[in-house]
Amino acid sequence: MSEAARTTETTVIRAFDRGMCTVSARDGSRLWLESLSMRHRLNSALVAVRTNSSVIALALVLVAGAAWAQDYEAPLTPDGNPNLNGIWQALGTAHWNVEGHSAESGPVVEMGALGAIPGGLAIVEGGKIPYRDEALAKRDANRQDWLALDPVVKCYMPGVPRATYMPFPFQIVQTPEHILIAYEFASASRVIYMNRPDFEHPGDAWMGHSRGRWEGQTLVVEVTNHVPDTWFDSAGNFHTDALRVVERYTPTGPNHILYEAEIEDENVYTRPWKIKLPLYRRMDENMQLLEFKCVEFVEEMMYGHLRKKDSE
Amino acid sequence: MTVRISAAACAALLVASLAGAEKPSPAGIQEWSPPETAWGVPDLRGVWDFRTITPLERPVRFGETGALTEEQASEFRDQELSRRNKDRRASDGISAEQDVRNAYNQFWWDYGSELTEDRRTSLIVEPPDGRIPALTPAARARYKAIRDARARAPHGPEDRGVAERCLLGFNAGPPYTPSAYNNNVHIFQTPGYAVLLIEMVNDARIVPLDDRPRLPEHMRQWRGDARGRWEGNTLVVESRNFTGKTTHRGSGRNMVLTERFTRVGPERLVYEYTIDDPDSFAKPWKAQIPMKRTDQPMFEYACHEGNYSMFTMLEGARAAERAGKAHTGSNLP
Repeated sequence: MSEAARTTETTVIRAFDRGMCTVSARDGSRLWLESLSMRHRLNSALVAVRTNSSVIALALVLVAGAAWAQDYEAPLTPDGNPNLNGIWQALGTAHWNVEGHSAESGPVVEMGALGAIPGGLAIVEGGKIPYRDEALAKRDANRQDWLALDPVVKCYMPGVPRATYMPFPFQIVQTPEHILIAYEFASASRVIYMNRPDFEHPGDAWMGHSRGRWEGQTLVVEVTNHVPDTWFDSAGNFHTDALRVVERYTPTGPNHILYEAEIEDENVYTRPWKIKLPLYRRMDENMQLLEFKCVEFVEEMMYGHLRKKDSE
Repeated sequence: MTVRISAAACAALLVASLAGAEKPSPAGIQEWSPPETAWGVPDLRGVWDFRTITPLERPVRFGETGALTEEQASEFRDQELSRRNKDRRASDGISAEQDVRNAYNQFWWDYGSELTEDRRTSLIVEPPDGRIPALTPAARARYKAIRDARARAPHGPEDRGVAERCLLGFNAGPPYTPSAYNNNVHIFQTPGYAVLLIEMVNDARIVPLDDRPRLPEHMRQWRGDARGRWEGNTLVVESRNFTGKTTHRGSGRNMVLTERFTRVGPERLVYEYTIDDPDSFAKPWKAQIPMKRTDQPMFEYACHEGNYSMFTMLEGARAAERAGKAHTGSNLP
């Protein structure tokens, strides 16, 4: 075997070891792909054919997107549930726009390159939110005036799912009956009530009302009772109080969660739609959430015009 | 942890059960062993209600009397309930000014209606007079500046204080102190962490229980930086690195706050906090607050999102200035 083939073999086997995918050749000619998703298809797969422990053929099959390991078995909490405890964060630019977008200049001239909005691929399945015509017009109007209208600019709680992909960490704290998600942004938090499907909420809330259950290794959370005032991003994407969100948190490795959310609001969309993105464990030594109590940072913007004129 | 029941404890438990109450006496703290989590630490999880009408500081007339007889307690309770009753009108013999202050009527207030079960005259248990020790001159000056700002027509949001700005709830401290409403804290535990979620402004204090280093001295936080440990069955949470922009009855940025959570019965938890801040107080002081388990869930307290009053207070102040009218003061006590 050539040096190049040996290197490639090592790379592939490491990928297997990390649980990215599992492939084996049982009879020297047939490929067996094991551990494909119960629910998800692999978007990308490394396929190797091994005979008598040497690689004789290697194909890299690439379909757009990332590879989700479906055979990963998450460790359990002492109470016996898949363990999602920890500090997590999304990467990417979905908080600017959940649809695909090119880079553009930012709203604050003085911020220059640091304030510019980076481009990003869509986290929306299919790329576009299926708005009804009149709703799309409202989205575009929101976008036109987003700096004045985006609720997060005022340090309001981001709502769900936006809180998940704000560029801030959040911590999952699991108990058998309740799962707390504490978000660094705006010190927002929400409690997921486990296995209480009949627990109705008496009103609406910025972070909604969350009822969860386990489906295999996946934490499924139905989020209802949303106020109509939150957005999905800084690009005007919005909903009404008819919003329903079903989130799915699936561990795909010791340091990754696949986050999916199905979003439904018949007032503004022609059909339910989905977002999907990875969450990454914050690996920083002694990582902890710090305070981001942003009320202090928006008071001048919100109330500055009402200050006593000759005061400091 | 094993269940340790001495003969004395058995007798105490028998007495307690005959009396139909779990008495959070210091002896009780030692003798009752709480249930454990699956990983073997005392289980404090759940929502705890810390309402009480026992005042933080002892009314001066009680002097050195720390606890009352049943009869005295009944009288004290009636006095406290009457003093706090916001449904009294001018026709009940109070001043017109007080009547106006009671516009935020009784419906909205939820102090509860009970004194602590041990019939204390103050939540403060140290020093023995049940009162906050003397403020240092620096702390007095700081406190006066805060009070003066609150008394005037607000120049800006900062004058109205942390709670009205929705930065922290008025009972959220830290430390937690029973106040007007939403006196609930939800405790979560997971290996390596305790999390204290207070209902007011949904604030989650995440307490690492490992021996990681503290934040460096220059990193300051509204709620400080908390580190926790177990001492027997007691969760001890020590917080430092406060900002100086909050104050607990005169405390400053160098306060060392030590909170102790001890579950003393299936439905009872004793919360104690000690404030050690020589920059601000003549000596450390300690309060003890009973918490009662509740099956009531907590709901979102979206304070800043609905803070119309900040606009109206500031607009009112500017309108009064334009009209050349003097400020008549806050209508809240």
